Amino acid sequence: MNISKKWLSQYMDIEDLTIEEIADRITAAGSEVEGIFRMSEGSHLVIGEVLSCEAHPDSDHLHICQVNVGSTVEQIVCGAPNVASGQKVIVARVGARLPGGEIKASVIRSQPSNGMICSLVELGVDPHSLSEESKNGIEVLDEDAPVGCEDPLGYLGLDDAVMDVGLTPNRNDCMAAWAMAKEAGAVLNRKVTLPSCDEAADTGVKGRLKVASTTDKCPLFLGKVINSVTIKESPRWMRKLLHAAGMKSINNVVDISNIVMLETGQPLHFYDIDALPAQEITVKDHMTEVYTALDGVDYQLEKDDLVITSEGKPIGIAGIMGGNDSKIEDTTRGIIIEAAVFHHVSIRNTARRLNLGTDASIRYQKGIEPLATFKAMDRAVQLLIEYADAKDMEETVQYGTNNYEPVSFTIDLTNINTLLGTDFEEGEVMDVLQRLDLQPVKKGEAIQVVIPSYRTDLMMEADIAEEIIRIIGYDRLPSTMPTMPATVGALDPRQQLRRKLRTTLTALGYHEAETYTLVSERLIHDGVMPLDDAISLASPMSEDRRFVRSSILPSLLESAAYNQARSIKDLALFEISNVYGKSAVEERLAVVMNGDIQKSRWQKLALTADFYTVKGLVESLFAHLGYDKKRILFKENTLDTVHFHPYQSAVVYLGKDVLGIIGKIHPQMAKEYSVTKETVMAELRLDVVLKNKAAKVKFKPLSKYPAITRDLAFVVEENVQVQQIADSIERHGKLDKEHIITDVEVFDVYTGEHVEKGKKSIALSITFQSAQRTLKDDEINEVHQVILSALEKDVHAVLRG
Amino acid sequence: MEKLEMIQQEGLSKIHACANASELQQLRVLYLGKKGPVQEVMKTMKDLPAEERPAFGQQVNAVKSLLAEAIEKKRAELEQKEMLEKMEEEKIDITLSGYRPSLGTLHPLTVVQQEIEDLFIGLGYTIAEGPEVELDLYNFERANIPQDHPARDMQDTFYINAEELLRTHTTAIQTRQLEAYAPKLPVKVICPGKVYRRDDDDATHSHQFTQIEGLVVGEHITMSDLKGTLEFMAKKMFGEAREIRFRPSYFQFTEPSVEVDVSCHICNGKGCSVCKGTGWIEILGSGMVHPNVLKMAGYDPEKCSGFAFGVGIERVAMLKYGIDDIRHFYTNDIRFLKTFTRFE
Repeated sequence: MNISKKWLSQYMDIEDLTIEEIADRITAAGSEVEGIFRMSEGSHLVIGEVLSCEAHPDSDHLHICQVNVGSTVEQIVCGAPNVASGQKVIVARVGARLPGGEIKASVIRSQPSNGMICSLVELGVDPHSLSEESKNGIEVLDEDAPVGCEDPLGYLGLDDAVMDVGLTPNRNDCMAAWAMAKEAGAVLNRKVTLPSCDEAADTGVKGRLKVASTTDKCPLFLGKVINSVTIKESPRWMRKLLHAAGMKSINNVVDISNIVMLETGQPLHFYDIDALPAQEITVKDHMTEVYTALDGVDYQLEKDDLVITSEGKPIGIAGIMGGNDSKIEDTTRGIIIEAAVFHHVSIRNTARRLNLGTDASIRYQKGIEPLATFKAMDRAVQLLIEYADAKDMEETVQYGTNNYEPVSFTIDLTNINTLLGTDFEEGEVMDVLQRLDLQPVKKGEAIQVVIPSYRTDLMMEADIAEEIIRIIGYDRLPSTMPTMPATVGALDPRQQLRRKLRTTLTALGYHEAETYTLVSERLIHDGVMPLDDAISLASPMSEDRRFVRSSILPSLLESAAYNQARSIKDLALFEISNVYGKSAVEERLAVVMNGDIQKSRWQKLALTADFYTVKGLVESLFAHLGYDKKRILFKENTLDTVHFHPYQSAVVYLGKDVLGIIGKIHPQMAKEYSVTKETVMAELRLDVVLKNKAAKVKFKPLSKYPAITRDLAFVVEENVQVQQIADSIERHGKLDKEHIITDVEVFDVYTGEHVEKGKKSIALSITFQSAQRTLKDDEINEVHQVILSALEKDVHAVLRG
Repeated sequence: MEKLEMIQQEGLSKIHACANASELQQLRVLYLGKKGPVQEVMKTMKDLPAEERPAFGQQVNAVKSLLAEAIEKKRAELEQKEMLEKMEEEKIDITLSGYRPSLGTLHPLTVVQQEIEDLFIGLGYTIAEGPEVELDLYNFERANIPQDHPARDMQDTFYINAEELLRTHTTAIQTRQLEAYAPKLPVKVICPGKVYRRDDDDATHSHQFTQIEGLVVGEHITMSDLKGTLEFMAKKMFGEAREIRFRPSYFQFTEPSVEVDVSCHICNGKGCSVCKGTGWIEILGSGMVHPNVLKMAGYDPEKCSGFAFGVGIERVAMLKYGIDDIRHFYTNDIRFLKTFTRFE
């Protein structure tokens, strides 16, 4: 909403306030002034008369002018093409400060020049509001302009400043200058007097005009015939106001429709009476045809668009733009006024589809106050009579109603003070309500308020509480802490799990990432353990962001690729996020790593990411979370061998539940996602973790007896898994019913030169310890022997020397 | 006797001159063993008259223990010297870099979110979450934003179908919490989460971002309680010197509604580029829970009241760390992530 100081000054006395002061106070009361624009700028200006104008002897375009500036005559060299003797012009004297800089006395091609004859553009006037003439040359003033006047900008009405007021959606009433004036008056505590035009439209004889609507999207339509108007230039005040509102002056009648819209917020449309096929106007929808509007563009109408018709033919797109045929021109003799209400959603949809954000459509979309239609008709008639010689008027015809019931309710100051935590006194509150025009009246303990028609946002006590505090000022609000029974703040198990994972992973060198939830079809297709059908947006902004992801890994791989493309080889990323399917949601942890997780090059230390790194990470994480290694099982990956390397990946189980998949990326996937083939990754389902109880920390007495370690090496078939061997050893680790094996650790796996092809050599150490006594050598030998023969039997192990 | 004295002198000087452990061992055997010069002298004792023998014996023993003492002293000396020499050989270049276990980092959005969560957990709040794929009901209707309300334009929405959408604000968590709690009092929750709006991604806009909202409903919750609570939060997050300022605003789900500015933590309110010369930074939206919102959830607005506030986590993180482009949060450039290795 743009409103100038002069516009506001029509309704209240604010001469003592600067535009900045006004803006600050309006902002502090809730409607943020987002900018202040001066319509023009310049000091040391004067109206002068060009006494003579001769061509400069050394130039083909400069002129040497003698200019009477009141007290003196100055020589000024001027380059404007339109300068001529006898003109009244704006002169910037030596010392003047203009937007482009300071004017100094100078010599231009050996001719002294003391000042500058100005164009409006040089004085900072927005070129968009100027005619071609004014844009391209010096401004030529009217014949009667007072020479020597030192306020030429004031003379032109350009000594104004415009505030750009950002309105919150509840205050769209302030799109109307009259409502904005009421708001400013309340905020500034000034008495506001609006033009009086009540019942101005209640004149005219009975006529032929019929108005109607065949759709409920037009609840109210007023029409009025004025058979005689005079088209001419608008009076200066009207032109100045339009200019300040950023609109161009066309002619008096068109300008009146715009001025009234700016004042009341109600868009009006004037039709040339002779251009309509009949004195019949009907609002319709379901008109699917091509229509040429005022701007000369052809628009394809659709069935939901509201169309103004006469004799079944469209004469305008309702609330958005009129037609070319019936527009007001110099030849117009009489007019029909339309003041109507159209449903905001319908206007919004049509305006959006046709990409027509007009002054009218914007106002309809934001909603028009219930009485605006009548106010606007009154005001238009009043101005047309005064400035367009409106005569031969017919009575206003009306279709529908505005359904307006005045709103009034009572408020309780105690409640309001309780809600705010304040102790405002009645006198002060009554004064604020008065300023807001809420007509407060004491009713016993309560206060009755009557809500002005344009304040449709005020419906209950809480709304009035806000009015009071925003006008009094939030600096008067105390600062306290809530008083209530004590509550316990805590994280729930899911939140705790997340934090534990984050703490552990970051401690181990992994960086937390965050990627977008919305992904492309390709990423959906590449999901790991996808939930059921992916959720797709009804109207996505782009194909890249069409689906709600059902797996994290593809997104995380994109982040890995981003880094690898920047030559960052060592990467360890994780992300915790929800993933979605049409009927399911899961929280997951994904990990992607590549290169060295830890290293010190000169020491030749490196932890290079491979299958065992991610496996170890999972083992370590879950041990830390309280899940014994016996509960975390790694099994052959039969779930997903498309994205994972089929022989270097595993499905992880927590007990019986599938926890996730870990392993090296499939080379094809690596290629498609531009990451190295060495990339390893994991995606784990956290809901499975939450479902399975973690073990509590429990101290087990430390054994007082020594532990004894025995190494052994043997050869087995290459396809024998270490787990089978370890299981076999563990099963046979009993001595007198006590399980005495505390650890089995593989320390070498070898295939090659010294081992028969198809076989591998494994070296491991077994640690024996009893909780009851010191084990004797021959006892251990006995168990060891049992283990050896078990290995021979179970995995056909052949002992190496 | 002279002989003994000679032995003593010779022994001491030999021990003194001894340069290594093996020589010293030879001397020990020589002087303290069974066949050395001291023993030789001892053997001559039997030739002495009986009354002289004790004194002689004492003298021999004195020499013997003197030598033993000297040997022991020398041994310790040599050992010390040897250790020093060995250590000198072990000298390393301490300027070579150490093995630095690389530490991972929490995402800056997590850092800020956890900081806010922890602050409020300390005040007795619990953390509530909700679905990102949300019903229109909880995202809009229950937040007092009915169908066709102009306020829906403020938040361009990703719809999935007529009923489902990606939540546009974490207020959806609040409306769910209220429904779940009603009519129990008090409600004290912090609601963090990802939210989505139809915005083209650029330096200051992101179609996905993170909010955290707070909600308190109780018997006598006032707007000044809101101010006190937010003041507490601003001071904890941006420093004890921070002040806050309320500016009237509009949100459908609160009445009165305010935007909250925090005095600029960069210039202390004097005006700088971060606060655009105003001394204040807009950081929060908040207000008193709208009576309609309470009513729809099953509370009687005559009997209770509440406040709610919401903050954009990206915005806080950008302000705190001076991040200039919101897209950094979602690109996961490892160099960006590694910025957050430090404790604050």
